[in-house]
Amino acid sequence: MSAPDREAYAARQAQLLDALLRGDEPPAGFDAAQAGAAGHSLRRKRARAAAHVWPALALDLGDTFDARFDAFARAVDAPSAGGPLADGLAFAGSLPPDAPRSDDARVELLLARASLRRRGVFVRPLWLRRPRRRLLLVARLPAVGALHGSFPGARRRRG
Amino acid sequence: MSTTHMPWQLGPGAAWRPQLDGAIARAGGLGFIEVIAEAVGAQNLPAGVAAAMQRGLQVVPHGVSLSLGGAERPDRARLAHLASVAERVRAPLVSEHIAFVRADGREAGHLLPVPRTREALAILSENVAIAQDALPVPLALEHVAALVQWPGAEMDEATFVCELIERTGARLLLDLSNLYANAHNHGYDALESLERFPLERIAYVHVGGGRFHDGVYHDTHADPVVPGVLHLVEELFSLADAPGVLLERDDDFPPEAEFAAELRAIGDAVRHGREHRVRA
Repeated sequence: MSAPDREAYAARQAQLLDALLRGDEPPAGFDAAQAGAAGHSLRRKRARAAAHVWPALALDLGDTFDARFDAFARAVDAPSAGGPLADGLAFAGSLPPDAPRSDDARVELLLARASLRRRGVFVRPLWLRRPRRRLLLVARLPAVGALHGSFPGARRRRG
Repeated sequence: MSTTHMPWQLGPGAAWRPQLDGAIARAGGLGFIEVIAEAVGAQNLPAGVAAAMQRGLQVVPHGVSLSLGGAERPDRARLAHLASVAERVRAPLVSEHIAFVRADGREAGHLLPVPRTREALAILSENVAIAQDALPVPLALEHVAALVQWPGAEMDEATFVCELIERTGARLLLDLSNLYANAHNHGYDALESLERFPLERIAYVHVGGGRFHDGVYHDTHADPVVPGVLHLVEELFSLADAPGVLLERDDDFPPEAEFAAELRAIGDAVRHGREHRVRA
């Protein structure tokens, strides 16, 4: 038997994968409904992984999270490094300015940016309104990692 | 059918996940756990896995990223990692999938089916042989649940798996939930298909949960095991024995009592099946 044609095999797999990831029409011969379900399942798995490490963002977007993430995932490949945290960061960056964004989600976003920073020093201030007005500082320091603290700190209860 | 030629016995098992560490540690009667090889670091084992070894459980590394069904030959670094995990957990065997997970440099993020053709069999067999050469222990291959099927299939799933196992000498990781899913979603009889799988080559059996959505069965590993799959466990053990049966749960983790009840239900199905076989 002659050696199998790995190049042609690679091309067919790449075509199918591209259609599934983008949610496009599958290559000729595939059942469109089956391919649609398979593609949706791939993107949903990716969405769940991102939502898991971006709980505040997922909470803010509520019922719209799935549809918004699906639209994002059709257009943008999952990142090659950084996993679901980096994927969620790219997703957060793709949202329109009027998307809901709670204080928790803003903190989550800054912490993700800090912990994904590969080198150098990262320091960002953030004004928070609830449950009390305060300044949050998020930093990533070499050999230390991501840190955060707020000013004034938590109020001590008397008595 | 006997399993006397098998160098190992595994018994009841559970797929180890950090969220299930306590439930697995307290589950009585387990013989083995499976650990996702890619979730193990280059140096240290997860503490729960090391603790399970100390309690005498066997550990089977389960790979998800080799892409043995892909057009590229399996990556040396990924193989070296799988081999290293196998050595560190003193594994009796390792397992991987009959699937591709990347193409043209892009990651699918999940296991995708291969075409059931002679050409795909030839490529898979070469890739499996490369993996076997790099691994210190036997390799078991798992057939996957596939929502989409390639056109131009030259054989059905049972025949394809038989051919691959025969060509490569690999063991079979029989996933009864995947078998159930494919039979349901693509309209064939699961039991008739099961009988034609190479049951004498089973290394162990996977059982996972799933759910029906719009008439399609989804192998989610985030829901309870459906009755149809438990029925297949019973049918399998009425036909043949297997060295181990392992429960997979990857998400929406249940309360510990529910997890323990699922393990018991699987054990009951195994026992009922064996009783039928002994009487027959």
